Amino acid sequence: MRARTWRRHLVPYLLIAPAIVYLALFFAYPMYEGLVLAIYDDDALLPLRSEPTSDAAEVAEIPQGTGLQILDRQSRAMIDDGGGDLLTEQWFRVSGAGDTGAAVDGWVSEARIRVREEDAAGNPLAGTVRPRLGQSADPLTDVHAEPNDRSGVVGRLEQRAPVAITEVALLEVWFLVQPADDPGAAAGWAPSRYLQVFDDGESGRVHRGTAGEFTTAFIERMVDDRFFGPALRTTLLIMALLIPLQLVLALVMALVIHARIRFSSGFLYVFALPIGMSDLAVGILFFSIFTGNGLLNSILDGLGIIDGPFAFLTAETTNWIIFAIVLAELWRATSIVMVILVAGLQAIPDETLEAAELFGAGYWQRVRHIMLPLLRPSIQVALILRTILAFQVFAVVIALSGGDVVTVLANESFRQYVDLRNDNVASAYALFILLLSIASAVFYLRSVRAESEVRAS
Amino acid sequence: MSSATPDDAAATLPPLDSPEVAEMHRRMRRRAGRGRAFTYVAAVMIAAWILVPIYFVFSMAFTTQETVRSYPKNVLPFIPFSADTMQFFLESEGVLRGLWNSVVVAVITLVLSTLISVPAGYAIARYLFRGRDLFRLSVLAVRAFPIVVLSIPLAVLFLRAGVFDSVYSLALMHTALALPTSILVISSVFASVPYELEEAGQVFGATPLQSFRHIIVPLVLPGIAASGLFTFVLSWNEVFAAAVLTIDNRTLPALLLTSLANAPDAFQFAGSFFLMVPSIVFMFFIRRYLFNMWGQVSK
Repeated sequence: MRARTWRRHLVPYLLIAPAIVYLALFFAYPMYEGLVLAIYDDDALLPLRSEPTSDAAEVAEIPQGTGLQILDRQSRAMIDDGGGDLLTEQWFRVSGAGDTGAAVDGWVSEARIRVREEDAAGNPLAGTVRPRLGQSADPLTDVHAEPNDRSGVVGRLEQRAPVAITEVALLEVWFLVQPADDPGAAAGWAPSRYLQVFDDGESGRVHRGTAGEFTTAFIERMVDDRFFGPALRTTLLIMALLIPLQLVLALVMALVIHARIRFSSGFLYVFALPIGMSDLAVGILFFSIFTGNGLLNSILDGLGIIDGPFAFLTAETTNWIIFAIVLAELWRATSIVMVILVAGLQAIPDETLEAAELFGAGYWQRVRHIMLPLLRPSIQVALILRTILAFQVFAVVIALSGGDVVTVLANESFRQYVDLRNDNVASAYALFILLLSIASAVFYLRSVRAESEVRAS
Repeated sequence: MSSATPDDAAATLPPLDSPEVAEMHRRMRRRAGRGRAFTYVAAVMIAAWILVPIYFVFSMAFTTQETVRSYPKNVLPFIPFSADTMQFFLESEGVLRGLWNSVVVAVITLVLSTLISVPAGYAIARYLFRGRDLFRLSVLAVRAFPIVVLSIPLAVLFLRAGVFDSVYSLALMHTALALPTSILVISSVFASVPYELEEAGQVFGATPLQSFRHIIVPLVLPGIAASGLFTFVLSWNEVFAAAVLTIDNRTLPALLLTSLANAPDAFQFAGSFFLMVPSIVFMFFIRRYLFNMWGQVSK
């Protein structure tokens, strides 16, 4: 019996478990990743090693973008083929007759061997030693015990000596580098994939690091971006124009529905239609009205109000674009506020309104002194919802402005990700939108609470 | 201001059969009549404000391409009807595939989110358990989170996991977006069915599962269907994440968004028609659940 009660207690948790797991996986974790992307730079620092191997001691860490002086180079067996601008080198294991006549078997860089014979798959089978140009050049070529310059020399080969190639090793080039502007700094080794080597072969820069670091660089880059100011201003402007209008219109719509006139359910259907509408479709809808040869111009022209089309949606008429955006959003998103307000109105007992009417309160008095105060929680919810959504306005803006002339925060996040392929700055924008949303929600909640405390005291 | 403030009226109530009361009633009725007329005018005007733009874009979606390009258009009485624009749109490259992708994503989202949110909604509606309020509140909070904030990191994660640019991963994302609303709506649907019905079934000898199957399921099915429709439309409409998460496997809104700059107007109008149709049908079926769905955010 006890086991059974225990099992029963577990039932609700089992029922909500899938939802929790799903939201943790596809909501909480990406949120966390977004935060990390915005403030943590994965590629910030490049460690330099004392030896050209990844397990050698770290002598210094230099930031991404540092200018470098290249002191030396070495080839080392590749750890993995982990991307980047790999500078690789092949080394051949060769065997042939050495300068002393004895057989030599060891490793030589591809730079020293001309491949003469390949198998069907293109693997080298045999070749000859390249001659060195120049009078003072050493005519002999060193053969190493291992595929790198630093290993011991096992023999030497004459130039043009024929050799058999028995093995090929793909090596990555490591560079001994030092920050260019600081000759006193420690020099260290780094693999080619993290460096960008300039054409002279003696200088370069750190292309990307391997160690991460918390940084405000992405946030700074977002704030310094030339679209940041306009995007923020436009977003706030749209919000400031839209939300009061929306509240008034939604209230009128809610009162009409609440009045329970004939065909009420038909009117409710029509009033609620925009709730399910795609913001992109609504943007295009208002584009069809406001565009140069669009319907508004046609009507105005037909009525003789204007002479020839007026260009509403151009770079010179950004105020008209913002007007069209506000109108489109008013059309699209007022219905949801209406539904919230109607639900709030339905919660007001009929007796309360009847009593007020009995005491001679006119319609507007009832609205002003009874409905509005009792609707306060619904209005608060609607305000929070609309403000948060207004920070995200996106497709309507693109449809009406193309996303360049008038831009908003969500569009900048999109542009950074899709056009500029900058995940970090895009995340910084997303984070900024999130912070604004949270701040405005907290603001509404606090201000309404503060007000009700004042009333209570 | 009318002749008596509420306070005065309370202080000096005349007898019910007096001429003053009869006069008051007449006045109230007249005022109510005027108010009624005003309400009708407002209702019709608002309906026109909503319907006329829809008519505009639909008339643009079903006309000739010449009409779309022409100026000035004869808006009234009618823009010439033709399937030309629509045909042009449907024959454009990528459109049928985009439509199909949209359907696939929306159906997967619908199925997945219903499967997950039915048990969760049932648990919230039927059980009192520790953490219930916390769970409800976090679901509410999740619902208010911006889509933009979720899309970018998810795109990065999907890219890292090698499932980028796929309709299936987009459906996973849409499910995350739809779940919170879906859970809350379904829980309110279950809550509207009295628990006594379930008990009554058990009193008459049904097992808990049988009474659930034969009593509860038929009652909640329409509500769950409404929530499913909502999920479908949410996924059908969603454009930001779709445009960020796909490149070749565009859904219809993502395709439209990315071709806005260079597609002819006719293409855009026909596309917006396709985007709107499901929501118009959907609103017809979920009218009854409207306040169930959104009313309860205020609680």
